[in-house]
Amino acid sequence: MAEKETSDLLSSGSQPNNPLSRKLNKILETRLDNDKEMLEALKSLSTFFNENNLRTRRNLRSDIERRSLAINEEFVESFRVVKEQLDSVYADVKAVNECCQDMSSRLKAAKDQTQDLISQTTTLQAESQKLQLRSQVADAFLAKFQLKQEEIQILRGTRDGSLHPEFFSALARVKQIHNDCKVLLRTNHQTAGLEIMESMALHQESAYERLYRWTQSECRLLSGDSPDISNKLCQAVEAIQDRPVLFRYTLDEFGTARRTAIVRGFIDALTRGGPGGTPRPIELHSHDPLRYVGDMLAWLHQAVASEKEHVQTLLKKCKQTALMLTAVQDHVLDVLNHVTEGVCRPLKVRLEQVVVSEPGSVVLYKLANLMKFYQGTIGNIIQSSSALVCTIEEIQTLCLRMFFNTLSINAGRLLEKVELPPADLGPTTALTQSLQLLRDVLSSHDSSIVPLDARKTDFAQILSSIVDPLLQMCSVSASRLNTVDMATYMINCMYLIQNTLALYEFTDQRLEMLQAQIDAHVDTLLSEQAAFILNRTDLAHVYGIVQQHNPAQGPLSDIHGLDAITIKSAMARFDNYLASPDSYTLPQCSLLLSSKIRESVKKHSIELICHAYKQMYKSLFDESNNYTEPHTIVPRTPEQVQKLLA
Amino acid sequence: MGLMKSHFGSHIGLSWKINNEGADIVSSDFPALTMASGPYNYSYIFKYIIIGDMGVGKSCLLHQFTEKKFMADCPHTIGVEFGTRIIEVSGQKIKLQIWDTAGQERFRAVTRSYYRGAAGALMVYDITRRSTYNHLSSWLTDARNLTNPNTVIFLIGNKCDLEAQRDVTYEEAKQFADENGLMFLECSAKTGENVEEAFLDTARKIYQNIQDGSLDLNAAESGVQHKPSTPRSALSTDQTQNKEGCSC
Ligand SMILES: Nc1nc2c(ncn2[C@@H]2O[C@H](COP(=O)(O)OP(=O)(O)OP(=O)(O)O)[C@@H](O)[C@H]2O)c(=O)[nH]1
Ligand SMILES: [Mg+2]
Repeated sequence: MAEKETSDLLSSGSQPNNPLSRKLNKILETRLDNDKEMLEALKSLSTFFNENNLRTRRNLRSDIERRSLAINEEFVESFRVVKEQLDSVYADVKAVNECCQDMSSRLKAAKDQTQDLISQTTTLQAESQKLQLRSQVADAFLAKFQLKQEEIQILRGTRDGSLHPEFFSALARVKQIHNDCKVLLRTNHQTAGLEIMESMALHQESAYERLYRWTQSECRLLSGDSPDISNKLCQAVEAIQDRPVLFRYTLDEFGTARRTAIVRGFIDALTRGGPGGTPRPIELHSHDPLRYVGDMLAWLHQAVASEKEHVQTLLKKCKQTALMLTAVQDHVLDVLNHVTEGVCRPLKVRLEQVVVSEPGSVVLYKLANLMKFYQGTIGNIIQSSSALVCTIEEIQTLCLRMFFNTLSINAGRLLEKVELPPADLGPTTALTQSLQLLRDVLSSHDSSIVPLDARKTDFAQILSSIVDPLLQMCSVSASRLNTVDMATYMINCMYLIQNTLALYEFTDQRLEMLQAQIDAHVDTLLSEQAAFILNRTDLAHVYGIVQQHNPAQGPLSDIHGLDAITIKSAMARFDNYLASPDSYTLPQCSLLLSSKIRESVKKHSIELICHAYKQMYKSLFDESNNYTEPHTIVPRTPEQVQKLLA
Repeated sequence: MGLMKSHFGSHIGLSWKINNEGADIVSSDFPALTMASGPYNYSYIFKYIIIGDMGVGKSCLLHQFTEKKFMADCPHTIGVEFGTRIIEVSGQKIKLQIWDTAGQERFRAVTRSYYRGAAGALMVYDITRRSTYNHLSSWLTDARNLTNPNTVIFLIGNKCDLEAQRDVTYEEAKQFADENGLMFLECSAKTGENVEEAFLDTARKIYQNIQDGSLDLNAAESGVQHKPSTPRSALSTDQTQNKEGCSC
């Protein structure tokens, strides 16, 4: 502040252009304590400027210059060393640089050289990885689509034709591969697919052929009493299912073997029997048709049941497959048809022999029933269209025809020589015999082993074959009799037939028909009976006129024969009848076999008499008829008469 | 006959089940071993018949034996029915082929034809109905006349669950059985008591007869059929026609 005031004062108070002032000012303005350079310079000066005198002051400049020169020389000297060192460093660095450059260029060259190799290696590596993957895929492919050597060996089999235990799994593999190829065909590996398929098809064909040959020879061995069906054979049959034709042949082969066995067994049972003759040969009983036929059919029934088990065992592993057009169950039945075909001939010959040997109606009928029974029983195990069941059916039909034939022969004989009715108007011997036959037939019909509905169908025919001719015969034999005798005889015959039929089933309709016919004859008989009584009491004439009388014809008492006296005497006779009505019974009525019918004729004839009496009584009491004191003519009222006869 | 059919089916079904069990043993590399463990489902077939009056429970016994069930409302048998089961006696698998006959009189003529060649006959009466016991002698006569001398006849007193209605004592029937050389048990087809035993004891006895040679297997109608899978040496006599070396 003070300085400023001073400078202001100076500048204002003095002349600036004065050099002295300027100089002075300058000196005044100098601040020595602040000028470091100056201080340094002074300090340095003080080290060598020891004496302040003129000479020294005069020399000062040169001194300083000399000094400066020395320092510079010293400086130069020092720098020369530095420079030399630097130069050497420079040379070194340069050498290093050159070296580096050389290396770098060499490296670059090497790098240039190896890049190719590396990229080549990388490519190769990638390729190798890819190939490795492919090889894995290929291995997997081969494992999946190729047979192992030993599998091929197994499929080829051995020279003796036997099958390796692993045969079936190898075969299954071939089949699997063949199937899997279809997947290949859908991808873009069609060629491989086709080739593999082809080779598998070849393997398969030869394997199936081998399998078939083995199976065939196994089946041929199965003609013993009880076939030894091994599990391996069952497995073989299951495998061969895939070749329907071979499968069919195999079943045929099996069927043929069993067919032989069953025929031999049947013939043995028929002719040789068991050990030491027990059980005895079936043919030993050929004189007893029912036992003979029954034994044969029972043997066959059991054989068929066993055969069915054998076939089912053989096919137990088979399942319904797409290739198999028919169900396993149908194959079983097919084979059984084949197996049982063989026994048809020996059976048929024997059955026919029995049937045509005229064993009599009843036996024929029983035989027909027996065969019908077995037709059903065996038909439940094998098809009813099979040859065996058809054979039985055929002979059964023949047997039934023979039976009806004997019945119609019998009927023909009945009508050929008709016996006259015996004096007692009872049954003829022909009738009695025929009724016995009917009874025999119906009892075997009744106790039949055949189911109800099957029996029912035969029934109408049996009845019409026996009953119709019998009735015809009775009518013919009665034809020369008078009305009363005929009615009585017919009632008796039909009554006996009815009695016989009543014991058996399915006869209701017949019984009803017979009853209607009996009723008709009873009607005849009872009106004859009533007429007989009226005739015997001389009332017939009276009653006849009374019945037809018309009041316009005039009074009854005027008509000839109806005068009071004649009627009175007739009424006296009627009184006799009332006293002992039984003595007025027709002799034929007491020949009626049925007491019930006898009673009925009596009762109803009395009703007719009472009715007639009542009508006559009424007419006599009718005043228009001009009877005087009618109660002297007919002393009894109809009620009294009814009471007396009751 | 519908019954017959259903019977048939179910029994076969059962025996198949057993067959399949047997089948699992096979498929070894060594044929000899396969043979020994049995490539067949059974070694023998025994034929049985069941006889006796109607309603004594023959069909129920068969059903109980093959199905292990009681058939309370079993219809009368028509003619003859058939059932099978595989059992084991002394380590041998045996297939029983059982013929159940109708007891109704009208079927007698038919059922008599089935006695032929039976290895075992089960003769059944009903312990609550004396008449069925009284008829035994007639059944026995049939059985003796129509079967082999060495057919095993087993007497069964059925319905022993109905103790309260008993009409025939155990002792009486036992004496009858002893006098006639019959095996005897009281059974119940309802509870299953002794049913298994009756069928198995009969089989054991038949097997024993084979072992001691009194039953000749070679005979066509001995009621027993043999499969060649078991060694024959232990058994009786000359079995030359056997195809021992079956190619498997
Ligand atoms: N309480 C009891 N009832 C039984 C027993 N066994 C059978 N029954 C009954 O007896 C009746 C006849 O039995 P089935 O087995 O049909 O007689 P079956 O001997 O076969 O008769 P048929 O075939 O006519 O010869 C049936 O209603 C059974 O329920 C048993 O052990 N106990
Ligand atoms: Mg029954």
